[in-house]
Amino acid sequence: MDFSLFAEGPLLWIAFLIFIIGTLIRMAQFIFVARTKDKPFYNYFSMKYILATLARWLLPLNVDVKKNPVFIICVYLFHICLIVVPIWLASHISLWEESRFEWSWSSIPDKWADWMTLLLLAISIFFILRRALSPDLRMITTFADYLLLVVTALPFATGYCLTHGTLDSIGFLGDNMRLFHVLSAELMLILIPFTRLSHSVLFFFSRAATGIEFGRRGYSI
Amino acid sequence: MTEDVNPKAIMDFLKPRMGARFKTWVEICTHCGMCADTCHFYLASGKDPKMIPSYKVRFLKDLLKKKGRVDKDYLQQIYNTVYYECNVCRRCTLYCPFGIDIAFLISTMRGMLTSLGIAPEGLKKAVENYKETGNQMAVSKEDWVETIQWCEEETASELLGLTIPIDKKGAKIMYTVNAREPKFYPQDIMEVAKIFTVAGEDWTVPSEKGWDDTNLAMFINDAATARMVVENTFKRAEELGVKQVAITE
Repeated sequence: MDFSLFAEGPLLWIAFLIFIIGTLIRMAQFIFVARTKDKPFYNYFSMKYILATLARWLLPLNVDVKKNPVFIICVYLFHICLIVVPIWLASHISLWEESRFEWSWSSIPDKWADWMTLLLLAISIFFILRRALSPDLRMITTFADYLLLVVTALPFATGYCLTHGTLDSIGFLGDNMRLFHVLSAELMLILIPFTRLSHSVLFFFSRAATGIEFGRRGYSI
Repeated sequence: MTEDVNPKAIMDFLKPRMGARFKTWVEICTHCGMCADTCHFYLASGKDPKMIPSYKVRFLKDLLKKKGRVDKDYLQQIYNTVYYECNVCRRCTLYCPFGIDIAFLISTMRGMLTSLGIAPEGLKKAVENYKETGNQMAVSKEDWVETIQWCEEETASELLGLTIPIDKKGAKIMYTVNAREPKFYPQDIMEVAKIFTVAGEDWTVPSEKGWDDTNLAMFINDAATARMVVENTFKRAEELGVKQVAITE
């Protein structure tokens, strides 16, 4: 079979399944391991604290916004672009329409998607430079931090090149841009359950645990 | 490399404690650096990057990767960090977007070292004292009761009607002290007795174990001893049937 057919067919299925099942397992693990080993989590379980802490940290209502507004605004924009563009991009939705699921939903204008992609890439470069230049961050940064940033930005870079033909003049790259785009996205999906990208789901559990613990002690959550 | 360090002992301590929170926190830290300037050790050291809270818990990931196969020097490094570069105040957690409880992880490492017999000498001694006498200064029951009686005599001459009731059943408040007070600072007990007397409170002190309200076992994460110390106080409160337990300042 042609490799690009494989990448857009079976491999895509595999990537999605690993992503979905993997993240579900990570969530289930937290729920079940906490039952035996994190007793305070259930003994003091409180939806009130969980919702309060999630609202505070999902919306820009937290202490970090005041402390480091530039970075935090970039973090918010980065995550918004990261979630909105792949899901509401018109050409992605048309693929879902053509697929066996025949799912369809309304899209964002392509112009928006373009700007959001560029914004995400610019912020990624800012994150990388920030890591490389700050002595503080250099101390705590590991190779995986850079790698995962690149892995996350790559589907957007290749997606932009694909829709705009930016690198089409470079034969090999231009000819295979669609393949690169699909592969890079699959790589990211596959890595989510196994790396710190799992914070996409574990964020909620981690915040919930600390929300309960700090809330019941009357600390700021 | 592994002189005198038993990797199994390290893993035996860590494994049962690798709960959902522990595993998540060790893994998902994205090293964003928001915790850096929340740490007073970081600020007080002229912003030394080695004092970033996130950096201080790097050992745990490393220990798990190496399956506990580390040497004495490595444990010494952990010791220096968990005792002299963090006082478990939890301020970093207030600023962590994920709410990673660094203090919990530091405390786990302290407990791990304790299980290997590594802890600050003073604290080790205090914990032995708790186990033997129920208080950190190894004050015997006779000494404690005598000190209280002497405090009462001394102070009664200053304030008419002052008493320090010992083991008074059904009192409203059971008062507990820091074991340093009978040992070195009995005047603190006298001052408190004056306050209770003037305020007209119905109070008492227990003569048996449980009158020391410090819990230094907690500092080295010796959970069993820490629990025993608290249970002693609760036991006394129940025996005396008091409504409240007051602790010294």
